Amino acid sequence: MKKNYYKIICAICVICGFTSCSDFLDIKPQSEIILEDFWNEKADVDNVVAGCYSALQNDGVRKRMMIWGEARTENVMGGQGISNDVNLQNILKENITAMNSYTTWDGFYDVINRCNTVLKYAPGVAEKDPAYTQGDLNATIAEVTALRSLAYFYLIRTFRDVPFSREAYTDDDQEMAIAATPFYEVLNNLIDDLEAVKDDAVKRYPETQPRYQAGRITQDAIHAMLCEMYLWKGDYDNCIKYADLVIKSKKEIEEENEKQSKTSAETKAALEVRLNGYPLVYDNLTGITYGRAYRTIFVEGASKESIFELNYDEDPAGSGMLANSAVSSLYGHSNGTGLLVGSKHVKEDIEADFSKREIFEPEPKHKLDIRLYLNCDGTKDNSPIMKLAARSIEIDASKATEPKLDGYSLYAQNNNSSQWIIYRLPDIMLMKAEALCEKVDTADNEINKSMLQQAFQLVNVVNKRSICKKELTASDTLKLENFQSKTTMTNLVKRERQREFMFEGKRWFDLVRYALRAEKQNDPNPTAEVITAVNEREDVNKEFSQQFFKKMDAIFWPYNIEELKVNPKLVANPAFGSGENSSYEKAN
Amino acid sequence: MKILKSVLMTLALLLSTSLSAQNITSVHGTLSDDMGELMGATVCEIDATGRIIESAITDMNGNFTMKVRNPKDKIRFSYVGLKTVTLPINKTTYVLKLQSATKLKEVTVTSKRRAQGNSLPIPQRELSYSTQTISMKEFEGLGITSVDEALQGRIAGLDIVGNSGDLGKGSTMRLRGASSISSLTDSNPLIVVDGNIREVNMDGFDMAGANDEKFAELLNINPEDIADIRVLKDAAATAVYGSQGGNGVIELTTKRGARGKPKVTYSLKLTGTYQPKGYDLLTGDDYTMMLKEAYFNPRQDDNASNMATIPEINYPTATDGFADWRQYRDNTDWRDAVTQWGLRQNHYATITGGGEKASFRIGAGYDHETGTMIENKMDRFSTRVNLDYNVSQRIRVQTNFALTYSKYDDIDDLLSVALKKMPNMSIYQKDPVTGEDTDMYYNMPQSGEYIGSEVFKNDQRTYVNPVASAHLKKSQRRVYDMNPELIINYDLLGLDDEHTRLTWRGSVYMNISNHYTDKFDPQELYSKRWEDQVNKATASSSKSVSFNTKQTLTLIPAFANKDHAVMMMGRFELTSGSSSSQSTDGYGLPTTNGVIDSPSAGGLIGNMSSGYSQWRSMYYTFSSHYAYKGRYIADFTLRVDGTTKFGPGNRWGYFPSVSLKWIISDEPWMQKLKPTLSMLAIRPSWGRVGNQPNQNYLFTSKYGSADKYIDMSAMKPLNIRLTDLKWQLVSSYNFGIDLGFMDNRLNLTIEGYQSTTSDMLMGGFRIPSNAGFTTVPYHNNGKMRNTGWEFHINTNRMIKAGKFTMDMNANFGNNRNEILEMDPYILENKNSVYGYNNGETLRRVQLHNPFGAIYGFKYKGVYQYNYNTVKNAVEGMTKDEIYAWWKEFTAAGKTAPVAVNADGNIVLEGNNVPKRMMYDYRSDNTGHDGSFPGFNGGDAIYEDLNHDGQINALDITYLGSSLPKLTGGFGFSFNYGAWRLSTQFTYRVGNKIINKARLNAEAMTSNDNQSQAVNYRWRQEGDITPIPRAMFGGNSNYNTLISDRFVEDGSYLRMSYAQLNYAINKKHLTWIGLNRLSFYASVNNPFVITKYSGVDPDIAFGGEDPAIDNAQTPRSRSYTLGITVDF
Repeated sequence: MKKNYYKIICAICVICGFTSCSDFLDIKPQSEIILEDFWNEKADVDNVVAGCYSALQNDGVRKRMMIWGEARTENVMGGQGISNDVNLQNILKENITAMNSYTTWDGFYDVINRCNTVLKYAPGVAEKDPAYTQGDLNATIAEVTALRSLAYFYLIRTFRDVPFSREAYTDDDQEMAIAATPFYEVLNNLIDDLEAVKDDAVKRYPETQPRYQAGRITQDAIHAMLCEMYLWKGDYDNCIKYADLVIKSKKEIEEENEKQSKTSAETKAALEVRLNGYPLVYDNLTGITYGRAYRTIFVEGASKESIFELNYDEDPAGSGMLANSAVSSLYGHSNGTGLLVGSKHVKEDIEADFSKREIFEPEPKHKLDIRLYLNCDGTKDNSPIMKLAARSIEIDASKATEPKLDGYSLYAQNNNSSQWIIYRLPDIMLMKAEALCEKVDTADNEINKSMLQQAFQLVNVVNKRSICKKELTASDTLKLENFQSKTTMTNLVKRERQREFMFEGKRWFDLVRYALRAEKQNDPNPTAEVITAVNEREDVNKEFSQQFFKKMDAIFWPYNIEELKVNPKLVANPAFGSGENSSYEKAN
Repeated sequence: MKILKSVLMTLALLLSTSLSAQNITSVHGTLSDDMGELMGATVCEIDATGRIIESAITDMNGNFTMKVRNPKDKIRFSYVGLKTVTLPINKTTYVLKLQSATKLKEVTVTSKRRAQGNSLPIPQRELSYSTQTISMKEFEGLGITSVDEALQGRIAGLDIVGNSGDLGKGSTMRLRGASSISSLTDSNPLIVVDGNIREVNMDGFDMAGANDEKFAELLNINPEDIADIRVLKDAAATAVYGSQGGNGVIELTTKRGARGKPKVTYSLKLTGTYQPKGYDLLTGDDYTMMLKEAYFNPRQDDNASNMATIPEINYPTATDGFADWRQYRDNTDWRDAVTQWGLRQNHYATITGGGEKASFRIGAGYDHETGTMIENKMDRFSTRVNLDYNVSQRIRVQTNFALTYSKYDDIDDLLSVALKKMPNMSIYQKDPVTGEDTDMYYNMPQSGEYIGSEVFKNDQRTYVNPVASAHLKKSQRRVYDMNPELIINYDLLGLDDEHTRLTWRGSVYMNISNHYTDKFDPQELYSKRWEDQVNKATASSSKSVSFNTKQTLTLIPAFANKDHAVMMMGRFELTSGSSSSQSTDGYGLPTTNGVIDSPSAGGLIGNMSSGYSQWRSMYYTFSSHYAYKGRYIADFTLRVDGTTKFGPGNRWGYFPSVSLKWIISDEPWMQKLKPTLSMLAIRPSWGRVGNQPNQNYLFTSKYGSADKYIDMSAMKPLNIRLTDLKWQLVSSYNFGIDLGFMDNRLNLTIEGYQSTTSDMLMGGFRIPSNAGFTTVPYHNNGKMRNTGWEFHINTNRMIKAGKFTMDMNANFGNNRNEILEMDPYILENKNSVYGYNNGETLRRVQLHNPFGAIYGFKYKGVYQYNYNTVKNAVEGMTKDEIYAWWKEFTAAGKTAPVAVNADGNIVLEGNNVPKRMMYDYRSDNTGHDGSFPGFNGGDAIYEDLNHDGQINALDITYLGSSLPKLTGGFGFSFNYGAWRLSTQFTYRVGNKIINKARLNAEAMTSNDNQSQAVNYRWRQEGDITPIPRAMFGGNSNYNTLISDRFVEDGSYLRMSYAQLNYAINKKHLTWIGLNRLSFYASVNNPFVITKYSGVDPDIAFGGEDPAIDNAQTPRSRSYTLGITVDF
């Protein structure tokens, strides 16, 4: 018997030999890194920061920037293939429901969550990695805070009240169903966040990285965001303050560049006439062909007037960077138009007799404004939105009275690499002009006059920059005497914004801002401007929209139905239907 | 290695104990029997464990001399036909007279049939859980190619639906319904071969792929190798498989060698297969006529389809300026062109044999099949070697090796394209001079100078000539599957039932599976430009290796009191595996006729991808069985599963089960009934099993690469970590009654069960997206229940009259599922929102309701008259006149698209204009399609249930359930001497199917070819027909909404097979040296009795959706001739 026990013990030993490996069940993925092995060095932080940008650059996010900013405005109408995109078609018809897929916001919250993740883990890296200094950490915090604020800013401008959180979501047991925070509360939070980090932000990226200066967050970008946020808040002094900071910084950079490349005195004088010292990109002043400035700003990118832009590579093949496919699909390419084209209203304005212009100024007799050609080819029914779909445009101005579009070349389909500009200097200048106008009160005094004059000068610089004529005469430019009142001046600023930033995803947000301001000023009819604009739209039922847009809720967007279903704390925007149909008969 | 070492150690221990010796070094003697001296008798020395140490053979005079190694051993004398004698070695001379074995006095040998497989060797009649066994003897010589075919209709509660008749495609199996509605966990039963589970990594597999993968297991096993099949149904039976067996288990046991002289068997099967045809399709002439109407009707414009717009359907001639005019004057039967009689040949040879020490079975087979689609073929070589070697009485070594190599050439999509392709087009290019067919295939030009009519741009132009693709395309899959296994059995204590037995069994099993796919798509099939990625080749491969080891200790104590019987088993099991895959595709290859078809052959490289994954698991099992007096039986099993799929907190799952059995018929007070009621037993059981997700690393936060920004490489968080993901648990009750009548000549089993799945693993769970993610991959939510019953009869020589015997088997079962609890959001999300499109099915999942309800409109025929006809007829009449006119109109059985109120009166709008029947009309212009003018003559009549003058979602009603009320099968077998006839039928009763195949074949909204039924379409006012008019364009009409026109009764009775077998009497064979020669002829799937109008009512009902017939390749019909020879 005894030997049998030996055998049993032996066998048991064999069995137990296998069980001793307790971590047998711990395996790690091969193509990903797990949290426990990540966040150890500066490179990890840098990689996820870059991930925040690439989330912002994501096609879904970019399309929404364009659709939220343009699709409900009088700038656009449906182009080729629009019938394949029922959701966009419905937006153009102003038949938006909670089922519309363009009401989803997950891409923006992806940006926000990536930023929050960096903010959560970067301080730990600073403790571990001596190469990652406190200064680096502060700069990182400023950079991702700015990106997060930008994403939230897009959301509140679109949906008004949105769920707001500074927490990174990593685990499924975190409370995700949170109520929407009111618009102004979010806005104040964003301003506070940016005020707190603005001094830590990078002012200048190394010259070896020329694309970083506009492609990544700088202090100028944060100031620009603050400028706009204060404008939305109605704090015009702060708006002007930050506008001036940005303008000053841009002028400083220009002066430094000036020292290296000597501009001829003749050119300097000509520029002074046009730009009054503002460092805007200017066209060649030969008086023969124009279009060069456009190329510098949108195609080449990182121009001196650009403050923050999403960078797309010249040569996207193989570089691993995204092509600007949002522009390709929405605005067109060499094979045809995108889902959106310039609206009839815009085209009519371009082709109309000068005296009947509504968006462009009725004064100059000739079609001297380069933007008449850039924004939209008014002569054609089926032309892409050239401002972003073209890689070069030439305007022949050899006959000063009759400039004409000489030729252009479009990006190939899905190969668009135009930059998506979020802030450029004219934007800041016109925001400052808008703030100045708002500060004007009814009194007839010098302060008011000077403010109107300052505003006029800002608008005039932006306007003059686009005149394709060598020698400017009085009849070619705006006249101060026509804009002596607050109303006329304000309207001029608004028109200038519309034509300067047409198709740049800003128009609808501007209309929303005007309405919010009117609401704040207890205007009985705050959405009047929205209604006027919407009335110019092709596909919208006029009677319906007149009524519809009387509600302030209507100028914002509905939350997506899926969000409402999973987040019981969200309250649906009452102006919009859910899009779901009524009940069916039940099974027997 | 560890195992081997320990075995050697224990052996050494054993030997060392018997070193002391007496001095007998050799023995000699004489052996004889009643007839005299024995020549050739065996004398051997055996050690304590029964190993033969030394041996000798007697000479002509029966004398022998043998060396003795160890005097403590024993000496054994044996001769065929005589009784073996074993004696201790205590003398040097042995003179023995051996007794004839046949002269022994009668002995009763009681042998209990014991259950095989992974569980305890419990005697068959003591099994207390729900199981059903089929011996493959029943199928011997049947023309079946795979196990699932054999199982169809035989197992109560097992619903097998043939997915399609394509080569190498498996079936969908559901044992007692699906345990989960999540599409991410697999619902097929587990397949176990000789106790081994083939671990396939499911990471990143779609369900269809996983399904095929699982069934590769079944396909790789040659039915000739299988000894029996056992289906484990309730949780108590599957408990030893823990979480792996949550959907039931199918255990296969392969044949092993047997003692005896080598036996060679060869079998050959020749099978002819063909596909049932289905709908008759339009001829070229009918097709052009139909298309012309389809283009005319929506616009009422002759120019819509004239020679200038669509020359292809206008029989152009040389003068019409259409270059390809010769190609569009045919009546091509595309389906006929791509289908053929398939031929399958299966060769299989086995050698079995063995002696006292070793036995073996070696089988090798070669199958070659040409499919029912042209150019589709399959080759398979399979071999299986099973060796058993008794090292000693206590130690037995088994090694098994199986290898399967299969090669498939299957060009997919041939049939579906053939069914849609325009029949007036010719297959081959016509000679420009003679007009005769050349040997070049004709394809509609897709680009280039002249490309024909634009209307074919999105359909006909994209359909590649299927005959051409069959011949020119290459799509080859090769699969190598190897399964080596080594098993050591060691009896540590007693050797028979009289002594306490303790057995250790250690096994190591590997699965090596390599897949290679090569595809080539030649330029000839497309008239595309060179830069559009023509001449495209893809080569991909995946390799997977898994390793499994099991250590099992079985204890069977022997009690003095024979009333008690106990068995216990403990097992520890480890599995680990890894797989890698890679794929490359290249295009622009420098070839014109498919000679060079490797992606590396100098073209441009398109995509390259690779993947790697690994998995591990650990299982502990404890199982015990107790029987008192052989009639009160209790079993308990506990299985503990450890998996890498869950975080450290939830890594282990505990799955207990208990089952009891009371064999009432064995009670003394039942003995009187024994002659009639030979078996009466009841079996209650309860058990819990679990299920795990099919993804790893769910519980960790992962970071992966994101798109680059400027020059910065980017990373991003990839997921929300699932901190509390748990096992999905299924606990089930089963109650079974076993009945046997007349000495078990008639056996009957009734089972009822209820299983409840809780913490259901739902995939793709939506979360508020302000978390930065829209979904988490898994979430435990919801509860569902399967309830059902089964009934199963089989007989054992039920009718016997002389040489004639007859047997039958029958089973039926029913399963109902119901959702008990679910997050309202998930539930709502599973309900589809009606999009108002033709052919769109509406899915409703409701609490406390089964799945698979079909909803749709009520179809009432076709409007005979146009709206304007009515409008004009009643113009100027007063209200009452119109009512009277309408009464007369309807009384004549006429119909027109005007709104009718609940009383049957025509609805009038202002100015006494009849209200037209509309489709989802909304005054704010947000209805489905504002451009639809309303119904007209020739359009489908749907019943306006709420009489609101329009057809919309509110008119949708319940049309039936896809769940069958009863499924099952039955079969008969008749024996008369050497003749045997067996038949098997399967049936399903009471389910409804949406026949979408017919819907698409009768829609007449595209350029696709249609079924001949559309020849009866409405063409002009007054036509009375059930088929609406031809209307081109998906939104031009609403004539093919899901309605009861397309919902059909899916009940059927299918004859699975009938087989006639004849074995030639052995007497007549011996002179040619054969042991057995049998012939058979069988027919598989010869007919289906059904009201269903589609090709095959065998339509899978998948999870939440109703059963939809999407025109899959039907199950083929086949005729087999076979011969089996034993040498």
